[in-house]
Amino acid sequence: MADVLSVGVNLEAFAQAISAIQALRSSVSRVFDCLKDGMRNKETLEGREKAFIAHFQDNLQSVNRDLNELERLSNLVGKPSENHPLHNSGLLSLDPVQDKTPLYSQLLQAYKWSNKLQYHAGLASGLLNQQSLKRSANQMGVSAKRRPKAQPTTLVLPPQYVDDVISRIDRMFPEMSIHLSRPNGTSAMLLVTLGKVLKVIVVMRSLFIDRTIVKGYNENVYTEDGKLDIWSKSNYQVFQKVTDHATTALLHYQLPQMPDVVVRSFMTWLRSYIKLFQAPCQRCGKFLQDGLPPTWRDFRTLEAFHDTCRQ
Amino acid sequence: MGVTCVSQMPVAEGKSVQQTVELLTRKLEMLGAEKQGTFCVDCETYHTAASTLGSQGQAGKLMYVMHNSEYPLSCFALFENGPCLIADTNFDVLMVKLKGFFQSAKASKIETRGTRYQYCDFLVKVGTVTMGPSARGISVEVEYGPCVIASDCWSLLLEFLQSFLGSHTPGAPAVFGNRHDAVYGPADTMVQYMELFNKIRKQQQVPVAGIR
Repeated sequence: MADVLSVGVNLEAFAQAISAIQALRSSVSRVFDCLKDGMRNKETLEGREKAFIAHFQDNLQSVNRDLNELERLSNLVGKPSENHPLHNSGLLSLDPVQDKTPLYSQLLQAYKWSNKLQYHAGLASGLLNQQSLKRSANQMGVSAKRRPKAQPTTLVLPPQYVDDVISRIDRMFPEMSIHLSRPNGTSAMLLVTLGKVLKVIVVMRSLFIDRTIVKGYNENVYTEDGKLDIWSKSNYQVFQKVTDHATTALLHYQLPQMPDVVVRSFMTWLRSYIKLFQAPCQRCGKFLQDGLPPTWRDFRTLEAFHDTCRQ
Repeated sequence: MGVTCVSQMPVAEGKSVQQTVELLTRKLEMLGAEKQGTFCVDCETYHTAASTLGSQGQAGKLMYVMHNSEYPLSCFALFENGPCLIADTNFDVLMVKLKGFFQSAKASKIETRGTRYQYCDFLVKVGTVTMGPSARGISVEVEYGPCVIASDCWSLLLEFLQSFLGSHTPGAPAVFGNRHDAVYGPADTMVQYMELFNKIRKQQQVPVAGIR
């Protein structure tokens, strides 16, 4: 209401300002009329020039006067919408024909909505930062500019150290054989054969596991040119499902400061698949559900569950 | 190639072989299995020729030469309880040349034909066993592709078999017990088919009412 009142106080000034604008416009058009008409109706050339200049000057002065008047009035009018929270758009509320142009209410709705969105996005970003899925250390606070310099130290481990960690894990589990190769530079690729149950291709970056693919024991894991095939998935639904779960496990086991522990925990978890076809589901007690055996292994207890039976 | 179990499904009482097969396939389709073409397994019996038998009067061994549409380029030659030879299909021509040693038993050809179904990682083949012109029985083959060790997935296979065979679920095939930890191979399947065919042949000798 205060806005409306303050506008009301200035209405007088508004009316005067509008008439001042009208005056200014007519005086300006008089100037152009005078220029258009040019010099005429005088006998001598000098008389014509004099009369024209005098007339032109008069006109210009009246323009000047009107302009000054308008400036004075505009100071009186002030800026009525300044203290409105929506600034100039708040003036839309003055539109009397609400039914035909409901712009103002729509604007308010959009404003509220975008406010809420911003609030929720802020909350979500806070939560997501707590549960970060970035698996290497020192990445959170590093600005984009400095990132190339501040490489996490865990990413530049010497290949010898990686070899040691892997061979130690290999010795830890007798039913699991790990074959390490480096076909593309320093990044290691592991071919893990688990009993006579399955084969897993593990793509590493230093000691971080980047990608795993699980295939059947009797499936081909090499491409035609003899390299490990890290792209194609298994032909069997059960191993496609296990691949999905293994990817989940990669994100679950994370300890940026001790990457060797992560690899060891992952391999321990993977080893529980030795009984993929022999262990019934711990919840429903059955072997099959929709044609699949219990493909999920609990991260802590390593118990077997169907994908839909786990909590 | 995964672990496979071949078994015989008895003909339902008061039904023909064809009707029982239809009943079975309808059950499979209701389970969600998808039809994937047809299959055929055939078997021919050969006697050891009398001229090659030793003077001690030992009985001639029977040899079975089999084909499986799942392995279209191979031919399987088996002795009962004996070795199984996997050869190229040219082996059939060789058998003709070996007429002096092995003679084909007359009207011994037995085969099973039917539809192939896929359900998840299971491959199910329901076939009608025919000998000459008449249907003699029903064969049910279930293969579980992802697993290669028979003893590992037998309980799982059993659960699947129970889901559509009900009370006619078979026991573990004899080949499963033979080699505990060995990788299952195509020859093991052929041995099971050979045993099934022999069983059905014997049934035929004692005429059973209600088969046809």
